[in-house]
Amino acid sequence: MRLRRYVLLRVLQFVPVTFVVIVLNFLLIHLAPGDISLLLAGENADPAYLALVREKFGLDKPFLEQLWRYLIQIGSGDLGLSFRSRQPVLDEILEKVPATLLLVGTSLTLSVAIGTWIGTWIARRPGSTLDSAVSFAAVALFSVPVFWFGLMLILLFTVEIPILPAMGMTSLDGPRSGPGYILDIARHMVLPVAALMTVSVGQYVRLARTSVADVLGEHFITTVRAIGFPERTVLHHYALRNALLPVVTVLGLQLGLVLTGAVLTETVFSWPGLGRMIYEAILARDTPVIMGAFIVMSLTVALASLITDLVYAALDPRVAL
Amino acid sequence: MRQVLRRPAIALSACVLAFALAVALAAPWLPLPDPTAMAASPYEPPGAQHLLGTDNFGRDILSRLVWGTRLALMVAIVSSLISSLLGIVLGSLSGYFGGWVDGIASRTFDVFLLIPTFFLVLLIVALFGSGIQYTMLAIALTTWPRSARIMRSQVLTLKSRVYVQAALSAGASHSRVLARHIVPNGLAPIVTDGTILMGLAILTEAGLSFLGLGDQNATSWGRMIFEGQRHLRLAPWMSIFPGLALLILVAALNLLGDGLNQALNPQLQRQSLRAKRHEPVDRVHAPQAAVPILDVRDLRMEYRLEAATIRAVDGVSFSLSAGGSLGIVGESGCGKSSMGAALLQVMAPNAAITGGDVAFAGRPMLADGRPVRIDGVEAIRAIRWTRLSTIFQSAINALNPVMNVQQQLIEAYLLHRPEAGRAAALARIGDLFDVIGIPRRRMASYPHELSGGMRQRVMIALSLLHEPELVIADEPTTALDVLIQDQILGEIDALRRRLGLALILITHDMGIVAESCERVAVMYAGEIVELAPTERIFERPGHPYTQALIASLPTVSGPRRVLSALPGEPFVPAGDIVGCRFAPRCRMAADICRSTVPPRVKTGEGHEVLCHFAEAAR
Repeated sequence: MRLRRYVLLRVLQFVPVTFVVIVLNFLLIHLAPGDISLLLAGENADPAYLALVREKFGLDKPFLEQLWRYLIQIGSGDLGLSFRSRQPVLDEILEKVPATLLLVGTSLTLSVAIGTWIGTWIARRPGSTLDSAVSFAAVALFSVPVFWFGLMLILLFTVEIPILPAMGMTSLDGPRSGPGYILDIARHMVLPVAALMTVSVGQYVRLARTSVADVLGEHFITTVRAIGFPERTVLHHYALRNALLPVVTVLGLQLGLVLTGAVLTETVFSWPGLGRMIYEAILARDTPVIMGAFIVMSLTVALASLITDLVYAALDPRVAL
Repeated sequence: MRQVLRRPAIALSACVLAFALAVALAAPWLPLPDPTAMAASPYEPPGAQHLLGTDNFGRDILSRLVWGTRLALMVAIVSSLISSLLGIVLGSLSGYFGGWVDGIASRTFDVFLLIPTFFLVLLIVALFGSGIQYTMLAIALTTWPRSARIMRSQVLTLKSRVYVQAALSAGASHSRVLARHIVPNGLAPIVTDGTILMGLAILTEAGLSFLGLGDQNATSWGRMIFEGQRHLRLAPWMSIFPGLALLILVAALNLLGDGLNQALNPQLQRQSLRAKRHEPVDRVHAPQAAVPILDVRDLRMEYRLEAATIRAVDGVSFSLSAGGSLGIVGESGCGKSSMGAALLQVMAPNAAITGGDVAFAGRPMLADGRPVRIDGVEAIRAIRWTRLSTIFQSAINALNPVMNVQQQLIEAYLLHRPEAGRAAALARIGDLFDVIGIPRRRMASYPHELSGGMRQRVMIALSLLHEPELVIADEPTTALDVLIQDQILGEIDALRRRLGLALILITHDMGIVAESCERVAVMYAGEIVELAPTERIFERPGHPYTQALIASLPTVSGPRRVLSALPGEPFVPAGDIVGCRFAPRCRMAADICRSTVPPRVKTGEGHEVLCHFAEAAR
């Protein structure tokens, strides 16, 4: 019962985030220099479309009514039309989601798995030379500019030792179905996934290390040791289970940084996802797409934070009291 | 400050930052070509003429790198300064005034924290044009909730401090109290986070420039990589060097923030203190007949702290017969709980057993301070929980918070009886719960869902799971109210008699031992200062410390008297110890007590006292 109330409350908190994001967008459009209708319709829109946009957004109406219309408009999922393709922005975005999801999902999964594994491993001996070295490397790792690291990977594995592809998601002359197709995509994924992992893997190493070391210092660990559980069970079954809870929460908070990394990575590797689309929209000054991307990305991050909170509540019986 | 600089990571990153700052400030006077001059031949590799080569327009890369440092540092400083200022103001107002102001403000922080910086910056730059000032402003606008949240929690803790309350009651205005007393004291973590923020700002600007959205007129590392990307095969040095510069500067900022955070946070430091422990020693097991269940000889254990090494258990000897009960009494910090941990061989990472022998039912567990191994397995493993178990002090911490109690007990049962199966485990736990007086329907509860008394009962049930021969109860009732305390002690005592198990009861309360133990050991500063049968110790306490402990007990029946509390601070056993440890607080102390270590005097059957005047007291 309590849990259901918590879930409901937490879901309701999604509303103000959506509201703030849309209002922020609206204010920025109004503060920006230049004609609003041109921003919304595109600089070389034909007069008929321009008139339609003016009518739709109520640009001759008072400010608050404009805001209201804008909220309704965006709230109903209408993010406008792209300048270039004349397609609805939302459709354009949704079309690109799978490629980005593949890239972000793979690199996040690997980051969490590898980062937690290394972090747990060094948490057993906090203060050792190994611990200091790994912690140092982890900090250095999340200081790496992801786009530069991508370029260096290309330089190394495509230019110097040409063993991996650096462009796109598939080969032009590769197979279009079956295991060959999957293998082709996998080969194309290696470098971008490796580059994108630098954004988060260091964070997970450190997080897992601190978290596991904290849990190992708790009294209940002394209890399970006194009961006689072997050290491996203490670490993997008891400490790790409790230590993973903070890792779960950070997953949501990290997503903003990882999506940023994805935009830059996709640009470097010409990966046909959202990031690449945003980059092209910027080059073409396709404002509706950029605004749409901002809204979608913000809501994705908010949604991820909502989901991680709910997962946390499900995993930790102490939540929601 | 000197302490902080001694950490290598901090010193190193401080040097890097100082160098970057010097280079940035000195850029106009350095003997370098104009960073925008297209003077040299293009694509020249690194060499004597151009240390880091030239780019596609024939511009000197080293010079551009140096001028890029200026931009990177400006972005870092300006945006983190605006962000921190905004955060400090809004965070401290929210924390200081609390109530609905705080409610609204902290919700706002949460909402803004969810907006991804980079995408907002992209939007702003796309709408307003690519000026460096917009970039910095946008970074500040999306990052300020970080400092606001930190400041808010700082203010929440600081505003209840005595000096703040004193200033307020002296009539100081809110703004004055905030500006003079609260904000300056709460700034340290903001500064720490500020360095990390600076790194984030630099990377954001670089990423933006890499997408071609940077300030067209500025020399930015990100823009250099953006330009280098197209010539990656022909002139890789165009992208390699600015990227390295970015990596080094941002890593220095992150390492500095991280190092400061650790230096300011003593808890993180303590984690890394470890005591060196002895290697196990191999023995062959030779069974013996009719021996005490536990025999402890000259047990020693130390804690390694930053300043000193504390000898928490310093030469303790006693023995306990099967089915017997021993109370170990002393003030907190006297080493009684450490001794319990040493007997179980489960200690904090910064603790180590340094000497002594322990035998359990004739089997050596510890020989000369080293854990004993029999047939390659540590001897203590063979008896943990099946023959020797423990009841820990506060069950809320001693039980796993995210596992229900039934599951915890099942796992402990199956660990030592893997063949029994879940059903048998459940049946055993149900029986135990009946004995201990926990309703069976509470079996699937989580520790936090149970009352303090119930939790302690669960802990007792856990300790009795495998019908051990010896239970070490470490302050089993300290966290409970007096009524429950009596109930639980009574239950422990009844169980002990019925199951015939031996008990070591560790407590600070003489009254508790009087009721439930046959013998009493009084501990002070790591030593047993008096050991005697319970009746005798209450009748004829031999040590002045024991006398003081007994005198501090209230009696309901006896004659009315003033309860005496013991003055002075407990002795800390570290370094060279001269004379008697209790002498500074002892009402009977003479010169000999301050110069000579007291002898262990046998004053009667099973009664020994560590005092120069043990005979006199008799």
